Amino acid sequence: MPATPSRYHRLNPLTKAIIATTASAGAFVIGGYIGPIAIIVVMLALAYSAGELGRLTRVSLLLTVPIAVSVVLVNALTHAGTTVLFVIGPFDVTLEGVDFAGQIVARLFAISASIGLFILTTDPRAFVFDLERRGAPPRVAFIAVATIDAIPTLVERAAVIGESQRARGLDAEGNLRARLRGVMPLIGPVILTSLTDVEERSLALETRAFSRPGRRHLLWAMPDTGWERLVRWLLVGALVGLVVIRLSGMV
Amino acid sequence: MSWGRFDTRTIVLIPIAIAINIVLGQTVSAVLKVPIYLDSVGTILVGALAGPIPGLVTGVLANLVWTYVVPPPFHSDFAAPFFIVAAWIGAWSGIVAQLGLFRSRPNSTWGQVAIAAVVVLLVLGGIGYYGFVPFYTDGTFTFFGDTTNASPFFVAMGYIIGIGFIAAILAIIGLLVVRRDVGVGYVAVAGLICGIVSALISAPISAIVFGGVTGSGTDVLVAAFQQAGADLSKAVLQQGLLSDPIDKTLEFLIVFVILQTLSRRFVARFPQGEKAIGVEPGAVEPSGVEASGAEAG
Repeated sequence: MPATPSRYHRLNPLTKAIIATTASAGAFVIGGYIGPIAIIVVMLALAYSAGELGRLTRVSLLLTVPIAVSVVLVNALTHAGTTVLFVIGPFDVTLEGVDFAGQIVARLFAISASIGLFILTTDPRAFVFDLERRGAPPRVAFIAVATIDAIPTLVERAAVIGESQRARGLDAEGNLRARLRGVMPLIGPVILTSLTDVEERSLALETRAFSRPGRRHLLWAMPDTGWERLVRWLLVGALVGLVVIRLSGMV
Repeated sequence: MSWGRFDTRTIVLIPIAIAINIVLGQTVSAVLKVPIYLDSVGTILVGALAGPIPGLVTGVLANLVWTYVVPPPFHSDFAAPFFIVAAWIGAWSGIVAQLGLFRSRPNSTWGQVAIAAVVVLLVLGGIGYYGFVPFYTDGTFTFFGDTTNASPFFVAMGYIIGIGFIAAILAIIGLLVVRRDVGVGYVAVAGLICGIVSALISAPISAIVFGGVTGSGTDVLVAAFQQAGADLSKAVLQQGLLSDPIDKTLEFLIVFVILQTLSRRFVARFPQGEKAIGVEPGAVEPSGVEASGAEAG
């Protein structure tokens, strides 16, 4: 376990996961501008208290700005509407389009800030093991944790194979055609060699009683307090309430 | 119909499959900027090797893990809502493999190849007639319906994409003829069906939650259809019906090639491996052994 520098980091992983999920779903259910912006402000405040404000802003912008640019271009330029603000070439920029794009962008940033805060303040392994302690199937836990390790392994393997293919004279740089031609000699061997690893790994796991039925006894548990449980139920209740209010058309 | 099994081998395969999905998907959408995703190769592979339920589980877990577990730089905030689409892709590829449609059928006779090509054309034509044309035209056969209000740029773009689509169909038929492998035809049709259903499932999610935009090359298409006069949900559906079948057909063909390239011994050890690639040509089929035994007795 890495050091846990702040109170927010030390919360139970499930509490942080539920904060992230209800906040991002809430941003979608509430809609408009005020709700999502309020959620962004709350998330940034929580990130500040956790000392992660800089990282959260950076990660969130990195993930969301390219999509937001797309949203603005696609919707501001081509969304049908009657109130034309101004004209760029063949495109009419309408008030309706800008409004729609603005709402989507606010929602995207709210989702990204909530999920990003969870990812940055939670050790993914702790989250998975906590879920397992709460009754998630151990095999699902294995799959989730093994994926975390499999991704860097795959990237490293791709780099090695890429260099080997270049050493053999594959020219994978330059224009789009050359790059496309370089794709198959790269991903083919990467996928095939990753798959042949399955053999060894499953034998290794079998010799360590992987398929033994019954529950595993985890030797440590993430701390969980009564008021965290209360917060979780309140958040879930609030989300359900919001959905009911929206569906019944009261707002 | 068997639903598939989770043996240790399958459980070990799933994380690797999810990693392939994530790395390939992220790279394609971020770097190539073409209107395809390629983020389901691993899911299709698990479905084919282990069965519909393992495929479904892989799809669901892939999207949830992508959002809730994988740390940056391969983390995505926006993958989780699409888990239903991934579940469908995994389950469908399991069913397809169980029916034996992923099998290679090399050295088919020219008659079979011709029949397969006709079948592919008919199925594609049927899908095109009932699935595509109503969405793209208002009775008259122009690709975008009424193009008078659209900018020439997007009309040209539409025709380029349309030509690309037809070229893809021709390429599949070409592959069929060159390899004389009727299996290519089956895989292509299975991939197309997968893509159409995926588009129908994912379009509402994409339109309602994300305003139809994903930050990858598909956004150009949404813009094109919206500029041509469609409202957002229709534009997203049109984009999906165009790029998803191409994407899934490509991914099914990639998995088809992977299955042929892997050693038979390796594939056959998975729960559904033998059904997926068939028994070695020349070897006696298990049912054949029983039959001849019965005759001898």
